[in-house]
Amino acid sequence: MGFRRLAAGLVATALALLGASTATGAGAPTAHAADQKVLRVAVTTTVASLNPFLASHAADTEFGRLMYEFLTADDQKDQHPIGGLADKWDVAKDNLTWTFHVRDGMTWSDRQPITSRDIAYTYNLMLTNPTAGTANGNFVKNFDTVTAPDEHTVVIKTKRPQATMLALDVPIVPEHVWSKVTDIGKYTNLQFPVVGSGPFVLTDYKQDQYATLKANPTFFRGRPAIDELQFIHYDNPDAAVQGLLKGDVDLVSRLTPAQFNALQGKPNIALNKAQGHRLNDLLINPGAQTNTHERIGDGNPALADVTLRQAIAQAIDAKTLVDKVYGGYAEVGSGYIPPVFSQYHWSPPADQERGFDLAAANRTLDAAGYPKGTDGIRVDKTGKPLTLRLLGDSGTATDQPSSQYVKSWLGQIGIGVDVQMVSSDKFSDAGVAGRYDLAFGSWGANPDPDAVLAVQTCANLPDAAGNGNSENFLCDPDYERLYAEQSAELDTAKRAEIVKQMQARLYELDTSVITAYPNQLEAYRSDHVTGFGLQPDPGGVITQQNGYWGYYYAKPAAAAEQSAGAGLGLLIGIAVAVVLVAGAALLVVRRRRVNADERE
Amino acid sequence: MSTPSPTAIAWQRRRAAVGRVWQEFLSDRGGLFGLAALSLIVALAVFAPLLSDASGLDPTHATGRPLEAPSGHFLLGTDNLGRSVLLQVWWGARISLLVGVLATLVSVGIGTLVGVAAAHFGGWTSAVLMRFTDFFLVLPSLVLAIALSTVLNRGIFAIVLAVGVTSWPSTARLVRAQTLAVESRPYIERAWALGAGHVHVIIRHVLPAVAALVFANTTLTVANSIIAESTLSFLGLGDPNAASWGEMLNAALGSGAVTYGAWWYLLPPGLAIALVVLAFMLAGRALETVLNPRLRER
Repeated sequence: MGFRRLAAGLVATALALLGASTATGAGAPTAHAADQKVLRVAVTTTVASLNPFLASHAADTEFGRLMYEFLTADDQKDQHPIGGLADKWDVAKDNLTWTFHVRDGMTWSDRQPITSRDIAYTYNLMLTNPTAGTANGNFVKNFDTVTAPDEHTVVIKTKRPQATMLALDVPIVPEHVWSKVTDIGKYTNLQFPVVGSGPFVLTDYKQDQYATLKANPTFFRGRPAIDELQFIHYDNPDAAVQGLLKGDVDLVSRLTPAQFNALQGKPNIALNKAQGHRLNDLLINPGAQTNTHERIGDGNPALADVTLRQAIAQAIDAKTLVDKVYGGYAEVGSGYIPPVFSQYHWSPPADQERGFDLAAANRTLDAAGYPKGTDGIRVDKTGKPLTLRLLGDSGTATDQPSSQYVKSWLGQIGIGVDVQMVSSDKFSDAGVAGRYDLAFGSWGANPDPDAVLAVQTCANLPDAAGNGNSENFLCDPDYERLYAEQSAELDTAKRAEIVKQMQARLYELDTSVITAYPNQLEAYRSDHVTGFGLQPDPGGVITQQNGYWGYYYAKPAAAAEQSAGAGLGLLIGIAVAVVLVAGAALLVVRRRRVNADERE
Repeated sequence: MSTPSPTAIAWQRRRAAVGRVWQEFLSDRGGLFGLAALSLIVALAVFAPLLSDASGLDPTHATGRPLEAPSGHFLLGTDNLGRSVLLQVWWGARISLLVGVLATLVSVGIGTLVGVAAAHFGGWTSAVLMRFTDFFLVLPSLVLAIALSTVLNRGIFAIVLAVGVTSWPSTARLVRAQTLAVESRPYIERAWALGAGHVHVIIRHVLPAVAALVFANTTLTVANSIIAESTLSFLGLGDPNAASWGEMLNAALGSGAVTYGAWWYLLPPGLAIALVVLAFMLAGRALETVLNPRLRER
């Protein structure tokens, strides 16, 4: 009986498998007609929101860039501002009034015309509705008025001169769709196909499973070379790499050094080591506060002392971290702006550079009144042992190994470290609430430095409800003054000077120690896909760009033109089903025979 | 003079019983192997600070290259930070065993308390305690442990608590059954008749009678606790300050060791877990067979 049930189960499984493979053929993302050119991308990050007004995580904004064109764009080769929806612009003598000319003949993916009114609508919505300003409010908060005098003209008047006018990272949405949305904060933006203006149109999405985007035939730069772009979610990076090796996906990003090394020399796998645009740092909580300067969180009060923070910074050897934890696939951290943006990058001149020096750090702490106790741990000025919690994100590959080094170094200057690795959700909650002493941080910078500089300003401190976008609760008058100066400075060279002064100030304050600018390590199937538009080119990234060039220029590799992989899923499904049915039949037959034998 | 005191007689009897148990245990080869393996592992773990240099665990003092294959210098190769895998597995035993044993103490402690109380007091106390036990019994313990270790502050003790609090119900059920059996015996009735109170009956009569079974159960629970600790640590819920075997596996997976093909980083902690659990299981099963009258008769 048991065996017969097993056999029936096997048949049912086989049928279900067969059913499943035909079902996927009908609707969901794995099977296609043979002539479809599909690019499959493995992702391990979680998307928090696809509503462009709320989306601020790296994974979310990448979708925003694919789905919506911005007013201006960042050039693929060198990231200078180029035309987006606007093809021409000029600024009045007072540096306050900007006039943008909107390109002719563009349409949304539902064939409605794109006009200046859509642009004015988007910016005005962000000005009038605070929720709509959640993700990108910093770009428009200095706007006085935005008007559309005619179909092809947008006029933006700013209160003070604004340096970021050609780097407004704001997805422009269609007024005829969004004017019907009643509650921006609750709108998921998942009405497929999602009407957009970018190179791809979102047609299907399941949280933590997959996202499917189809080429937008009405895209004003021309239709992308591929027909479909799929993001397939993997729970861990090793699974994603195995998917790449088996050919389940065509592109994987954010590889670990061990994975990147392991993939070298594998057939049909091409590697891309790109200079990244992120900075990774160690945050030293100087005393978390809200925008009304109320203390929040439970950071160790001793860290308010800048001398202590400087000693900690001196005990961190960024070079070793880059060599060991990043396997050499990073640049050694110095100033706040990553070196890929060479114009704004600053590194301390020789006379200001502290360098890694445990002995000097020990001397500093001895002199500053942190005597060592009998157990080798220093005590703070209230007599309590100086033991700091170090918070890491268990979802970030570098945090755990880095924590081992930091613990060891700080131990050598008499500071105890209690490492706490927590899930990404809990990590960001603790970050916003200031519940940490030390924590690993990471920011992605844009070609225009304003956004990443803004996260160190008082204005970005969280409000009482915890809404804010502050890196480490910094609120420093000198930095504020410089920030205001740079955002009003339209001369790029002069602005770069101010931005460098700001980084020098951050280096003095040491609320964060920049450890590394990690390389972005990517791998793709060279037998399936080619032609990715790197940004910047050469040496740039495929994924996580300030643009969509990577996916936009991707095309099937010559060998894969007559895609063999398309019907393969179905074939395998049928083969598996046949084998299972045969096996089940065999079992039934054998079982009958055994029964007969036993009866005799 | 010639008649020994009652206490002396009791002790004599107990010594004889232990001797009998030991003799029977010796006849179980699997159990003996388990015990030998455990003694060796525990001795190695306890004396690790004397036999090896802990500074090799500090990445700033690591001498190897990342993910070096096994060689004469590093018998089990190196991890992603160039530290000896062998040394880490060795020192990991301390944490894994410590957490396993502590979690078991919590679990067996709660289980014994609830089991004895439920059987001894009976009535609605029993009803309430047993429904409470049933409630914990039907909850998927891994999910509960994950939830608990997420809510509690990170650290070894969070894991101990999470594992201990989720694994006691089966002990409670076992102890309750044994207590019921013991309490129905005439000598307990006699004790009642002589005016014994609850405390006297429980401490002098019930606990000694169930202790043997609890001990056998403890040995088996340690194995489960070690698995549970490794699972939680592997899932990234462990204490990164304490490098247990589960933590090692977690670090190995996070660093891409699978893709790299660094089997020497993945296999040793996994095999170590398997070996210790097997040893505890063999010893525990043998002990249970000896001590549990129902199993012995078969």
